[in-house]
Amino acid sequence: MSENLLEQLQTYAAQSNSKVSVPRKGETFIDVDQGHIKEFISHVVNDLRILHLATITGLDLGENIGILYHFSQDKDTIQVRSTVPKAQSTAVSIVDIIPGAILYEMEIHDMFGVTFTGNPWINQKLLLPDNWPDDLPPPLLKTTKPAEIRKRLHLEVERK
Amino acid sequence: MSDESKRREETAGLMEFSVENLVPFGPIHPALKEPEYFKLILEGEKIVQVIPRIGYVHRGLEKAAESRPWVQNMYMFERTCGICSFVHSLCYGQAVEGLTIYEVPRRAKYIRLIIAELERIHSHLLWVGLMGHWAGFETLFMWVWNDRELILDLVEAISGNRVHKSMNAFCGVRRDMPENMEDRIVERMKFITDRAHYYREIIDTEETMLARTENVGNKINQETAQKLCAVGPMARYVGLRQDVRLTDPYAAYDEVPFDIVTRTEGDVRALLRLRLDELVVSANMISYAVKHIPEGPIRVKIAPIIPAGEHSSHCEAPRGEIFYYVKSTGGRTPDRVKSRQPTMANIPAALELLKGQTLADVPMVLTAIDPCFGCMDRMSFLETESQKQWTWSGEQLRQYGIKHYFPDRFNSPNPTKFKAVP
Repeated sequence: MSENLLEQLQTYAAQSNSKVSVPRKGETFIDVDQGHIKEFISHVVNDLRILHLATITGLDLGENIGILYHFSQDKDTIQVRSTVPKAQSTAVSIVDIIPGAILYEMEIHDMFGVTFTGNPWINQKLLLPDNWPDDLPPPLLKTTKPAEIRKRLHLEVERK
Repeated sequence: MSDESKRREETAGLMEFSVENLVPFGPIHPALKEPEYFKLILEGEKIVQVIPRIGYVHRGLEKAAESRPWVQNMYMFERTCGICSFVHSLCYGQAVEGLTIYEVPRRAKYIRLIIAELERIHSHLLWVGLMGHWAGFETLFMWVWNDRELILDLVEAISGNRVHKSMNAFCGVRRDMPENMEDRIVERMKFITDRAHYYREIIDTEETMLARTENVGNKINQETAQKLCAVGPMARYVGLRQDVRLTDPYAAYDEVPFDIVTRTEGDVRALLRLRLDELVVSANMISYAVKHIPEGPIRVKIAPIIPAGEHSSHCEAPRGEIFYYVKSTGGRTPDRVKSRQPTMANIPAALELLKGQTLADVPMVLTAIDPCFGCMDRMSFLETESQKQWTWSGEQLRQYGIKHYFPDRFNSPNPTKFKAVP
């Protein structure tokens, strides 16, 4: 990553009390809290012109759910990291900045139960089956066991 | 009607409704080619909104990966796709290799490039054939899929398998190139180059392809394509120089000379031209790589435990950029693996491309993004003015499209004027 770009990222990060770390060459991690996430991503997209969002990853971190935005430009990856508490998992949608993020947010809603406010399609199912029970926890949480999913979705096959 | 009798009616009274013997028939059935569902909202003939519903073949690979050893996951992720299988294991492998201290030997990098490019050629050929099929030009489909067999034979000779090559290992490949293959590969690449030029001539002159592809598809500009997260050919056909092979070279792409293809017309024919030109680029790369492949080891053995950390990797699959993210806590199994396939990234762009198009163009535009869920069996339509609602299968939609453009086509048995294979 060019010195100039990293400097600018650090400036924007300082505005929102975020931490920048570079564990490996070409990989930059920025921890941003939920209150500033939209503002920071808007800087990345509109001011730094880093337009390619590879995907959004959800992570089960125990108490919290991590949300990772993977931006990339040439050889550099810029990973913006944010967390929401599991008990009240509501995050801010970035669809009005990057319209292509709509399906990625729906995917995290299906798999981790995070609701993105501002995403128009968030209440539709994208990947989960239509008969997914409402009281069954989201599938990619560590506490959800595959055996339980099979049982509740009636996928259990009787073995002789 | 009671619930019980309603259920009996749904199963045509053929079977008792119970969990064990319920056979769902609809979008999720092995008899259909691939399951998927789009809801198209129409205004007369024009499309105003498209709502996708995917996930019918979601098998929970990301969850499954968390309970399997690192090595086993490599071959499991290869099963994500039946066309571009190799590139998945390559991308997952690179993400994991980034967490270790080992280097991939140079010979293995060249072998990875050769297999990845062979895969790109056979995937693009498959797609060109399908475009011919949906346009109503079956002859093209037959020719192209015949050529594709030659590539699959090469893949089988090198890896031992036609589809799931299982060639990758961590920090290397599992099999070396067979001896005395060089001449055979170069000869076939020359043949593929000739054929690609011939197909270019066909799509530029043949009336079926002209009518069905020229100025078809809602035109989008570069910034829209980027903001809709379009990848691969879907980004390159509007003029963006976006290709992971060039911008962030992996395998041996930094040692093999090549240039990517971009176009600016912005219609479906641009995508056809672009992918046919990419065949030539790939063929040249393979010919160069087999001539310049270095001697040496093909693999470094690594420990089954991967150090803690997180790393991501991306590769250029035939359909665009694929992305893998792995997180390790230093154990024998990964803590989290995330994979993002190019079709997922290209769906928002495809929905934009469909807006304002006629119903007859839907098969061409949706096939043009080279979706991994190919052929749109079962679609439902909603006409906004009369609130009429109906459902068609993919085959009905295909015939509707062909009849729309060529009303007399179903009466004449031999529509194409082209001669047989030269």
